[in-house]
Amino acid sequence: MANVLDLRRRIRSVKNTRQITKAMKMVAAAKLRRAQERMTNARPYAVALASVLASMRRRVEAVDPSTSELRSPLLERREEKNILLVIVSGDKGFAGAFSTNIIRTATQFIRDTQQSDRNKRIDLEALGRKGRDFFRRNYATAQFSAVQQDTEAAREGFVDTHAAPRPNRNRREDVEFLANDDAAKIVLDRLRFEDVRVVAEDIVERYAAAEIDAVYLAYNEFKSVLSQRVVVERILPLISDKEGSLEAPDVKASAEPSDEERQRMAEAAASAGLALRDEEQEAVRAQYEDESKRFGTAEVDYLYDQPAADVYASVLPRYVSALLYYASLESIASEHAARMTAMDAATSNASDMIDSLTLTMNRARQAAITKEIIEIVSGAAAV
Amino acid sequence: MADETAAGFSQGKLKVRLVTPERILIDTDASSVTLPGTAGVLEALPGAAPLLTAIGAGDLIIGGAQGGDQRFIVARGFAEVLPDRVTVLAEYAVKPEEVDKGAAEQQLKDGQKLESDAGDDPRKYAAARETVLEAEAKLGTPGQ
Repeated sequence: MANVLDLRRRIRSVKNTRQITKAMKMVAAAKLRRAQERMTNARPYAVALASVLASMRRRVEAVDPSTSELRSPLLERREEKNILLVIVSGDKGFAGAFSTNIIRTATQFIRDTQQSDRNKRIDLEALGRKGRDFFRRNYATAQFSAVQQDTEAAREGFVDTHAAPRPNRNRREDVEFLANDDAAKIVLDRLRFEDVRVVAEDIVERYAAAEIDAVYLAYNEFKSVLSQRVVVERILPLISDKEGSLEAPDVKASAEPSDEERQRMAEAAASAGLALRDEEQEAVRAQYEDESKRFGTAEVDYLYDQPAADVYASVLPRYVSALLYYASLESIASEHAARMTAMDAATSNASDMIDSLTLTMNRARQAAITKEIIEIVSGAAAV
Repeated sequence: MADETAAGFSQGKLKVRLVTPERILIDTDASSVTLPGTAGVLEALPGAAPLLTAIGAGDLIIGGAQGGDQRFIVARGFAEVLPDRVTVLAEYAVKPEEVDKGAAEQQLKDGQKLESDAGDDPRKYAAARETVLEAEAKLGTPGQ
């Protein structure tokens, strides 16, 4: 039997661990609350933009009848040969299976896509360090070389100078990781809209240049602590009729948490003093939500300061940025919720361990005392 | 833009809301709003005819708001004018004194470089022009 001193030392060490996990849980809960607030604050913009897009879609035809050209390259639907998959994962660990789940859903999507059509090529981009590290380890990194102006051809007039020059891509594998610097610079804990916009505009530009034919986004959707799932959504081309609502434009794959996981989340939230529903806040939120939904949708003939089609075309890229930003906010909230749950489980595991160690220690101590008494008694009897 | 049919509104107030991707920056009653439309500055008064416009870089002035006129530098957005309310969505919106001058100067340089590189590509030139105008809007207004 282990000696009492060793057991006491182990108990102390587990107690320290429990203190740390408990502190981490409380920090995660505080950050979750803040992340939820940021979502609430960001929602009116995203909802209003989605509403005006839906309204413009009804008012303006996607194809200009006089030139039969599309109003925006973002509406163009091409055969999906080159796909971009953006995954939003976490920056840090200690969040249970949070990033693993997203990566698993994303790799499953990559496998399914390749199996459905061998000719499809996939580019990968990641927001969040965990996903980025995974892609870097498991897929080839895309290589670009600077644009080489074919001077002779240019002189002969063979080069279309109106086409924006794009870097040359040396593709070696079907699935490649883009390792975009702008995306790598994003720190999820201090996410700013500007950072996300730069990434979104790059995506839009690549789509407009027909380098990619579809853009998918894999992230952890967060409606509330109890309502979350990992989804893969198509965000480009913008052709779905369901646009105009922020809810899942075009979901291709999803993974729901089990009831047990949900239960654990609820318990963790309750023990961290996090209200699952806040009636007062929700009323304010509902009011803004309602008013935002009406943006640009009044049943009147608007005057337009510029052609309505131009307004329509300029809403589209902004909508993509807003989608990406809002998805990142949701992902951040779910990361904190996952960390809170994981740390709550770790704390209760530590408590269980302390209980069982304490029991063993008491037994060991009792055994030692009993042994001593036997020794004394038998010593006395021998005299 | 107020006319007779909207006389009922003309004495009233406008509800003005400036919404950015990160939060609702201001939500107030006002007597007028000046918007930097992409096709020119326009002012909305209570009772204005419904209007939907893209807005460019420039000053958004909310007149007669609580605590006096409020000015913001805005860029890249949309505005909806209704007889009794004005809602502005803008990707960029800050108070003049909060503008990051260093970043704006860098943006101006970048924009000018893009402009000289654009050649005769109209799309690229327009994008460069937009960057320059945005930087100028940020710089052109001294902090108050």
